Amino acid sequence: MKLYGSDQERVLISLYGAGPADIYGAILRSLSAVLEEKVSPLSLALDQGREEIGKPRRILFDQGLSKLPHAPEFGGMGLPFGVYALAMELAGAADASTAMSLGIHNTVAEAIARFGSADQKKRLLPALLSGKKLAAFALTEPSSGSDARSMRTKAVKEGRYYLVDGSKMFITNAGEADVYLVFAETASGHGAFLVEGSNPGLKVGRELTEKLGMRGSRTAEVRLVKCRVAEDSLLGEEGKGFEHAKELLDSSRIVMGMICVGIARAAYGKALAFAKGRELFGKKLSDLQLTREKVANAATEISAARLLCMHASRLKELQRPFSSEAAQGKVLATEMAARTCDAAVQLMGGYGYTSDDVHRHWRDARLLMIGEGASEVLRMLIASRELERES
Amino acid sequence: MNIVVLVKSAVDEAELRADPAGHPLLMGAATKMSNFDMNGVEEAVRQKEENGGTVIVVTLGGADAKKAIKEAMAMGGTRGVHILADPRGAPDSLGTAYLLAKAIKRLGEVDLVVCSEGASDTYQGQVGAMVAEYLEMPFLAYAKKVETNGGKVTCEQGFEGGVRVLQAKLPAVVSVVSEANQPRYPTLLQVMVAGKKAIEDLPLSSLKSEDYPETGMEVLDVTVQATNRKRVLLDGSPEDASKKLVDALKQEGVL
Repeated sequence: MKLYGSDQERVLISLYGAGPADIYGAILRSLSAVLEEKVSPLSLALDQGREEIGKPRRILFDQGLSKLPHAPEFGGMGLPFGVYALAMELAGAADASTAMSLGIHNTVAEAIARFGSADQKKRLLPALLSGKKLAAFALTEPSSGSDARSMRTKAVKEGRYYLVDGSKMFITNAGEADVYLVFAETASGHGAFLVEGSNPGLKVGRELTEKLGMRGSRTAEVRLVKCRVAEDSLLGEEGKGFEHAKELLDSSRIVMGMICVGIARAAYGKALAFAKGRELFGKKLSDLQLTREKVANAATEISAARLLCMHASRLKELQRPFSSEAAQGKVLATEMAARTCDAAVQLMGGYGYTSDDVHRHWRDARLLMIGEGASEVLRMLIASRELERES
Repeated sequence: MNIVVLVKSAVDEAELRADPAGHPLLMGAATKMSNFDMNGVEEAVRQKEENGGTVIVVTLGGADAKKAIKEAMAMGGTRGVHILADPRGAPDSLGTAYLLAKAIKRLGEVDLVVCSEGASDTYQGQVGAMVAEYLEMPFLAYAKKVETNGGKVTCEQGFEGGVRVLQAKLPAVVSVVSEANQPRYPTLLQVMVAGKKAIEDLPLSSLKSEDYPETGMEVLDVTVQATNRKRVLLDGSPEDASKKLVDALKQEGVL
């Protein structure tokens, strides 16, 4: 499947103008060629556990995907967040689990770029942007997911160190990561801590291999047992850790939404090819009116989700509030992806139901209606913003 | 070593659509550097990396052709030259070769001109040889291996059941086939840097003289040939499906 095309090109032109869109388009076209040739062919094998997790991520690190939205002084390319978001759509279409693993890694890099000290930036950002180091985001706990503020992990200050104790659940990149961004309750609220993967107090539990989808990334519990971290590992201000997490999740939701746009396109593309070839009642399946309704709905919803996520990206670039738009984009994109993948299975009938290569897209999409803000929580956030408006 | 690589901005066949009569909709169609030219650029860049020097990317085409030059520069080209042509009245192969050769003569001393076996859209495979003729240089065609040493270029040319080894003095023109190398993927940063580099424009009119070959050759019609695929899906266990596949292939006369 051709990942970059006129749909993305026109979005770039409408947001950034023809000149910049030329350069951004060339970058995305080049990324697309690598994804089509080197990543997409591994995707089914990753889902089936026949391919090494991390191999496609290494390819994309080498291409410089993590450098896109970050400042050149730390090895980034300084491109608008929206260009990165479109890149993540392409990556999501090639292999959603690799895209998610990279998206979360990049969220930690953004955390350091935004809230980190000069030393933390210098020490970690070049290694994270080049992929020499991998990062994980550790907020969710066994007994608190959507209600993240109720976290039980504690960080107690002892001299020039913090002692962190607690447990984190469903952590992407666990076991592979070199750096974990761990959120914990402190004496003055919440804190965010950069914990080295080699810290003897950080223990990775059993990998959650029975998960429905996203099987090309690792997920596990992370336990912090008297985990001693230096005070200069605190990211941003002590007491503001939860606020930092909320801000980071706003950006990450755009990315997860765009990954879902990619997932939907992958499933839709397969169903479309099938419908054009399959014959029944003396016609092509694609000539039947009910099929055309599915095609039109999928194309419209994919465009709508992409545009809402890109609108949130543009607001972020312009440093305007974008929290509600990012939440709306993620709700729309994730639920749209599940609907579109379901329609693809339906269109392909028995072949859709019995083929890993079709239903895996639905299984992948399903996670993102839960992770990085469940649809219900995001609807609460959106409704609150709406009700706060002056009538 | 001063190397020139010739590239063409070709219609992206993956995006090409045809009207109901089968005529490809070329106006406004997406373009990219011809697939085969990626091997030409890779070879030129490898020669530069081994011998030092520069790689000048030269193309003739409409405004869109700059995109192809930038793709080549992202792969390692050092300079880009664009002969701006009106895509509606694009020169034929001989006219193209004439204009490319005139442009190359303006670039100073050139040791090696690299091109690919043909363009991925028209695939006529004529321009390389014609450029060599205009430049009065030897032409080593369809090279699957290229080596330069001591002022000479040595190429391996494959043919059915054998390999022919050719050698010529530099300067020379070489066309490479896709077996010659594996084109590199530029990093996204290299693509960005190339995208910001200036490209030199050479007006077509400044290259045309009285000796321009007016051949009168015209492309009268182009139609696409529809390929009707049968898309047969075989179900059952792998053993059953493989038997059905063999039967189906026998029925089609393939086996």
